[in-house]
Amino acid sequence: MRNLWALTVREWKAFWYSPVAYGVGGFFLLMQGWVFWLLMAVLNDPRVDPSWRMSQFFFGGTLFYWLSILMLAPLLTMRAFSEEKRTGTIEVLLSAPVTDAQVVVAKFLGAWSSFGALWGLTGFYFLLLRTYTRLDWGPILTGYLATILLGGLFISIGILASSLTRNQVVAAVMGFALMMVLFSVGFLDVFISDPQSSKLVSYYSVLEHVRQAAKGIVDTRPLVFYASGIGTVLFLTVRILATPRWRA
Amino acid sequence: MLMTNAIDVQQLAKRYDTSMALHGISFEVKPGEIMGFLGPNGAGKTTTLRILTGLLAPTGGRVQINGLDVTEQSLAVRRRIGYLPENVSLYPELRVQEYLTYRACLKGIARAQRRQRVDDVVGQCGLGEVRRSLIGRLSKGYRQRVALADCLVGRPDILILDEPTIGLDPHQIRQTRELIKSLGQHATILLSTHILPEVEIVCQRVTIINKGRIVAVDTPDNLRRRLAGHQAVQVELQGDAGTIEQALGQVPGVARVNQQLRNDGFTVFEVEAHPGQDVREAIFRLAVDRRWTLRQLSLVQTSLEDVFIRLTTQEQDS
Ligand SMILES: Nc1ncnc2c1ncn2[C@@H]1O[C@H](COP(=O)(O)OP(=O)(O)O)[C@@H](O)[C@H]1O
Ligand SMILES: [Mg+2]
Repeated sequence: MRNLWALTVREWKAFWYSPVAYGVGGFFLLMQGWVFWLLMAVLNDPRVDPSWRMSQFFFGGTLFYWLSILMLAPLLTMRAFSEEKRTGTIEVLLSAPVTDAQVVVAKFLGAWSSFGALWGLTGFYFLLLRTYTRLDWGPILTGYLATILLGGLFISIGILASSLTRNQVVAAVMGFALMMVLFSVGFLDVFISDPQSSKLVSYYSVLEHVRQAAKGIVDTRPLVFYASGIGTVLFLTVRILATPRWRA
Repeated sequence: MLMTNAIDVQQLAKRYDTSMALHGISFEVKPGEIMGFLGPNGAGKTTTLRILTGLLAPTGGRVQINGLDVTEQSLAVRRRIGYLPENVSLYPELRVQEYLTYRACLKGIARAQRRQRVDDVVGQCGLGEVRRSLIGRLSKGYRQRVALADCLVGRPDILILDEPTIGLDPHQIRQTRELIKSLGQHATILLSTHILPEVEIVCQRVTIINKGRIVAVDTPDNLRRRLAGHQAVQVELQGDAGTIEQALGQVPGVARVNQQLRNDGFTVFEVEAHPGQDVREAIFRLAVDRRWTLRQLSLVQTSLEDVFIRLTTQEQDS
């Protein structure tokens, strides 16, 4: 536990002590600010349907939402193992009395908490909005929950990609590609008529999960999907990390 | 009583994809000893040390540290060792003290003692002036000392140092060697190097490795004598061992004679010559004169000489 904490804090510092953090963070907040500006414009439009929820617009309703998650996750994770392999600090890290699982989980928690912190900052936009209009907090909170879970899965994928190469650009591209594959599953729905397959697709459709959550609907199936997904990907990463020590 | 070896390597082999880096090497390091691990570049030093620290799995053989197996009990082994990798790499965004505190935590130093422990190693490694500096801004010499301080912060019994003076200037090299010698009073040290004078200055014993094989294990003094150009000849003769030994000792140019194994009436002698002397012909004529049957007459330790030629004997070459 003490190791996990120390390692996670180190990961956190590696991101927040670097100028990259402020570039990425600034860009992200600008993008979300733009989304809010659009949101305000829609809210001021008298023709808008009164049953329309702004959480549906903010969470998954715009391209910017997906773009920012699909960019943020690789940017937060590309250095995780690649950089340590490139500079050689991985040797120092793994020769200390820490388990591979601790190292992988700490990298995940470090990047995930940074992801959470950046999204947490968008909460200020909602506080600002509250001075204009009455807010329905339920769907907003479930929207955040879905975002954090989705971010967790994408971040675990980014960490996995980073464990496969010593080049952070390659890691980012590889992570992004894997995330795109998962993201695209939701679009398969269009081609499918059979209800059984359709159910299967919706289990894997992150698009659908976020849409539902933005309406304030919480389902256990997506929760299971994200928890098991994160677990599986991190487990794979631990195996990859241990390979050089088992390959006889 | 038999003491457990601090480091015990038996028949250690390592294959990288297609090439063998280690061909079943064996050596031991006793508790409290400073052992040099000497060999030219590509000999397999780093590979061996990586296996010792659990970073790499062996292809064959067995390694024990303080009686613990490095593959089966890796975590327990890693708690006991301090490792200085060949290319020192540290997190540039951390400050020296911050980094050492983090490492002390990973190495299981309790929170209450961490501060004190970091102060101790900062003092020991002469890092007082830079303890609040960013590691990324430090000179190579200081970074090396931070890595060494990290090595010590967990109070290890065994230090594994991979070419600790590589890339330092002569002044820093001297300081680092002094520091390592002083550490030897409390810990067992395995120090790899490709610089011959380094082992003579720092180590009590030295294991020489070349092309993945152990070539010799000896004290630096003995190695120096072997290096000084003494020819050593192995000769196998039939007859009374005592008489032969005496006669061989009187051959002009011979410095020392050692009796070795005996086999069906034959005895193997190792004859050491004075520098620059070739005693083989004289030995042959002696055997003919005395009518001793000669079964073997050969130069020994050619492999050792081969290694020495490729070792860096001058600091500047390093
Ligand atoms: N990761 C690796 N993959 C393939 N071959 C390697 C690897 N590391 C080292 N080798 C080879 O193994 C041999 C021993 O290398 P090394 O242990 O680094 O020697 P030293 O530290 O004595 O210079 C060399 O021939 C080297 O090329
Ligand atoms: Mg080496």
